[in-house]
Amino acid sequence: MTELLGIFFAAFLINNILLIRFIALCSFFGVSTKLETSLGMSSAVIFVMTISSAVSWVAYHSVLVPFHLEFLRTAVFILTIASLVQLEELYLKKMIPSLYRAMGIYLPLITTNCAILAVAFLAIDYKYSFIQSLVYSLGVSGGYSLAIILFAYLRERTALAPVPKWFQGYPIAFMTAALMSLAFLGFTRMFGL
Amino acid sequence: MTIFLTSIVVLGILGFIFAALLALAADYFKVEADPKVAAIVAVLPGINCGACGSASCYNFAERVIHGEIAFSGCVVGGKEVAEKVGAVMGVELPAGYHKKVAAVHCGATEKIRQRINRYEGVAKCAAANLVSGGGLACSYGCLGFGDCDCVCPFDAIEMVDGLPQIDPRKCTACGKCVTACPRKIISIVPHEFGAVVACSSKDPGAVVRKICSVGCIGCKICEKELPEIFKVVDNLAVVDYTQAPRDCSVAINKCPTKCIK
Repeated sequence: MTELLGIFFAAFLINNILLIRFIALCSFFGVSTKLETSLGMSSAVIFVMTISSAVSWVAYHSVLVPFHLEFLRTAVFILTIASLVQLEELYLKKMIPSLYRAMGIYLPLITTNCAILAVAFLAIDYKYSFIQSLVYSLGVSGGYSLAIILFAYLRERTALAPVPKWFQGYPIAFMTAALMSLAFLGFTRMFGL
Repeated sequence: MTIFLTSIVVLGILGFIFAALLALAADYFKVEADPKVAAIVAVLPGINCGACGSASCYNFAERVIHGEIAFSGCVVGGKEVAEKVGAVMGVELPAGYHKKVAAVHCGATEKIRQRINRYEGVAKCAAANLVSGGGLACSYGCLGFGDCDCVCPFDAIEMVDGLPQIDPRKCTACGKCVTACPRKIISIVPHEFGAVVACSSKDPGAVVRKICSVGCIGCKICEKELPEIFKVVDNLAVVDYTQAPRDCSVAINKCPTKCIK
């Protein structure tokens, strides 16, 4: 149990996917201008990342390992994740339209998100079991949500602040992100992880 | 060699399974779309320009069905398409509906403008307006640096002889030029109304006569001809665009400075 908690917090804070690993930065800057969109994006990421890491774990250990085709994992993971997200979209549209509308465009958007693929790879590289990889992906997507929601708050404030003209827009966003990243470095070696 | 074969076979089978799964799911989870959406899409221009504020023509049709956007919102299609969409939705176009465009309320081209000093600053209307009116004798008229041309996202404004010319086919009445103009001489008016006062000067007629040959002198002839449409307020004729459009040529022809167009 403590091991699972350790995996979760390591992924959530210490190795935060956005601010320490610098993966999925495109969506980090793209959809963080408003709190609303970042909430939609993070819910979609939590949803897709958890399910896709589970499915890609099964695909790796039950199809690729028995056939000694581990080198094909990139192609197979892309295939599984893309089909899976399509399937989820169809399911949500029919069964839970309110959730479908809340996630809206973000669901198909993160089909090709690098964070989703990275988590599938890292869970294999760390030789996690099925449960461990599930907890790991929950931690990573939680960390993603934490970072993007905090960042959206900051960007909403900086949008109203008297920023010098040459720093307006993306420059100040990059600086804010860099400072946040430095702050997250403070979590390194926390709980001895 | 076997590794080639196994990889091809395994990937092929995987791909086939996923494709079959998706095909089944697409059928099983099919959402019945409102047939009105297809009917509206059929009458829309279908170029997905986004000028209405929707992502695509399909998205526009969906939003019309859900009542999130006015059925007459298709900017490119104008009145014609609005009528067709209204027919699908079973609503009639209000009598006063007209496509709106931006109109410039100044007629003084570069040749007509009188200057009282030379402005040599930044070639922007906003800058020129700050420095003693950019050197123009008229403190209401067009400065001619084309700030409106710069902000127009639809390339509908062209500077001709120092005056913005608006192409009504491209203009979507988005209002960017209205806010960009430091002298507030652009406004959004119904297209094909048939009367635009091409002057914004609130100076008395005697002053206007001295500095401009195409300015409104507040003579009230238009008001006498068509009192429902024209009103002279602060030495300037204004058109009441809430009225139904009609032929204004009587007033236009009698205007002594030809500032009504």
